[in-house]
Amino acid sequence: VTLRRALLMVAIPLAVLFLSLFVGRYFVAPADVARILLRFLSPGERTWPAASETIVLQIRLPRALLAFIVGGGLSMSGVAYQGMFRNPLVSPDILGVSAASGFGAALALLLSRSEVQLQLMAFGFGIIGVSLTYLLARAYRSTPMLMLVLSGVIVAAFFSALLSGAKYIADPDSKLPAITYWLLGSLNGASLQSLKLAAAPIVLGGLGLVLVRWRLNLLAMGEDDARALGVRTEWLKAALIVFTTLITAASVSVCGIVGWVGLVIPHVARIWVGPDHRILMPAACSIGATYLLLIDDVARSVSVSEIPLGILTALIGAPFFAYLLRRTRTVWQ
Amino acid sequence: VRSIPRWLSVAAALWQLLPTVSVAQATRDVVDATGHAVKIPAQVNRIADPWHANNAMVLMLGGADKIVATTVQAQRQPWLRRLYPRMDQVPAAFNAAGDLNIETLIGARPDVILMAYDGTLPKWSAAVEAYHVPIVMMPNTSLAGLKETARITGEVLGASEAHIATDYVRYLDENIRRVTDVTGKLDRAQRPKVLHTASAGILTVDGRGTVIDDWIRVAGGTNAADVNGNGRPVTMEQIAAWDPDVIIVGTAPNQQNRKAILDDPRWRQIKAVKNGQVFVNPSGAYLWDRHSAEAALQVLWAAKTLHPDLFKALDIKRETIQFYDKYFHYSLTDAEYHSILTATPP
Repeated sequence: VTLRRALLMVAIPLAVLFLSLFVGRYFVAPADVARILLRFLSPGERTWPAASETIVLQIRLPRALLAFIVGGGLSMSGVAYQGMFRNPLVSPDILGVSAASGFGAALALLLSRSEVQLQLMAFGFGIIGVSLTYLLARAYRSTPMLMLVLSGVIVAAFFSALLSGAKYIADPDSKLPAITYWLLGSLNGASLQSLKLAAAPIVLGGLGLVLVRWRLNLLAMGEDDARALGVRTEWLKAALIVFTTLITAASVSVCGIVGWVGLVIPHVARIWVGPDHRILMPAACSIGATYLLLIDDVARSVSVSEIPLGILTALIGAPFFAYLLRRTRTVWQ
Repeated sequence: VRSIPRWLSVAAALWQLLPTVSVAQATRDVVDATGHAVKIPAQVNRIADPWHANNAMVLMLGGADKIVATTVQAQRQPWLRRLYPRMDQVPAAFNAAGDLNIETLIGARPDVILMAYDGTLPKWSAAVEAYHVPIVMMPNTSLAGLKETARITGEVLGASEAHIATDYVRYLDENIRRVTDVTGKLDRAQRPKVLHTASAGILTVDGRGTVIDDWIRVAGGTNAADVNGNGRPVTMEQIAAWDPDVIIVGTAPNQQNRKAILDDPRWRQIKAVKNGQVFVNPSGAYLWDRHSAEAALQVLWAAKTLHPDLFKALDIKRETIQFYDKYFHYSLTDAEYHSILTATPP
């Protein structure tokens, strides 16, 4: 790893995070944004309108931080699963976490729960969904990959049906649109409170993935080979599933189902740094965080209406990925 | 002598029934919102109403006993059930998502289907036309459209209903006039910016080209939401940029949604929150703020809410009790009036 690359990996997302605080529909003078942020470091006289401070600290900052950790977290989850399943088409929701979380959230919307309860229910159902998948796949003290994938399909199908059921009985004037928009993914609900709730599991899961990333190289060679090299693969798989589920369930619970990021960012990262998970993991985190920050800047500031993330991640991401794919075909040959 | 085979007698009996089915009924034409003359039976006894809001309108016009198919939503509207308990037993041929169970509908043998029209036909219209059930479309995006809806609904239902519809439109016009006589004189600076939220869990607001935009203007405000249509998702920051003077919370559970706004630090610098101008929209037989018969009360309530000083003499409680008494034949108790005004179930 060159030093330059490592520096870029840290500097670019942080720079985009900082610049995102200057973007939005409400006009706050750039100098004021800087002053408001500087006040963190050295408390001083307040020379700007109170509304500007709310905009920057209560609205833009939590939202940007959430985009940062969700984008980074989902991308790392994608790397983990693609390595573990040795399949480049795998995304973080393969074990049914998104469908289960989505149902939890829809249920909360249906029952008119508060935002905190919605977040907790979505997170809780995500955990329940993946636990079901894991138990279902467990046979003879092992969890074969194929069983995991099939169990994931079953659990996802089950919770998707429940989700459709929730939409079926939802009030079309108020609740159905809310559920629909929510499922398309949006960071609109971001607040300091939701950030606090979501940050712990995402950061925890992310740290876990960073710590086990070098073992992922061994697992990616195949389970038998990894075992021969002394890796306790069952434990490693369980750990990867726990870390990834923490991240994905927390992400869905705070901003709905953001597709595409966890599937494609790992590939973009692979084009940049190659297949070694030790460097691939942080690279994916860095690119994912940057990507979702930029996408969300567009989502919240281009039009008067909020644009759902699910639309933009693919609409902007797909052509970009197609371009990369055409340019660097060699990587996959 | 062998008796006539049983199947033959059954066939003969059926044959006798046939003419009564196939004979041409007397019909009349109703011009609906699409501009077409729709042929409907001269005497309409059975209607299907897949438009949630319109069920309350039919009840108000005195034709509720003719409803033979309705929607899940209308069945569940707490105050509609209180005013008209039979609502519970009417089959809901239409679910919340606007989908139709064609067998339930045809089994209910409606003479006419009444439906909202915003420029597009419902997705089930072709399926229904195959059964020769006429669909009468009615406008749903403005106060003028509401009057038209009342008039057409009355015309479809029959003479006595049409009479009540005429009376209702006059009453609605009168209420609009009472309000605009005062608010018409207000200049731009005196008209508060009003944000009407339609959110439950996600931030959505009602913009231009809606009945909500209409009553905000009538009541002497301007719609803060510079978007088109109902329930548009917007960002928190966009709302801060609009900085509304008044916020009206329009989705159940309204009280809880209002509290969520007041408790949220992101809303704290919004003018309406700072000045304590966050209100819950009343909800009765239908949501007052939507395409509801109670829009006649909504214009009064909104005017008094936006300009309490200008409408000191206006007694919302008296108006509300009179309205429900006259049009729904139901005398509200104090507690019931309170339930409607605070949008809590009875």
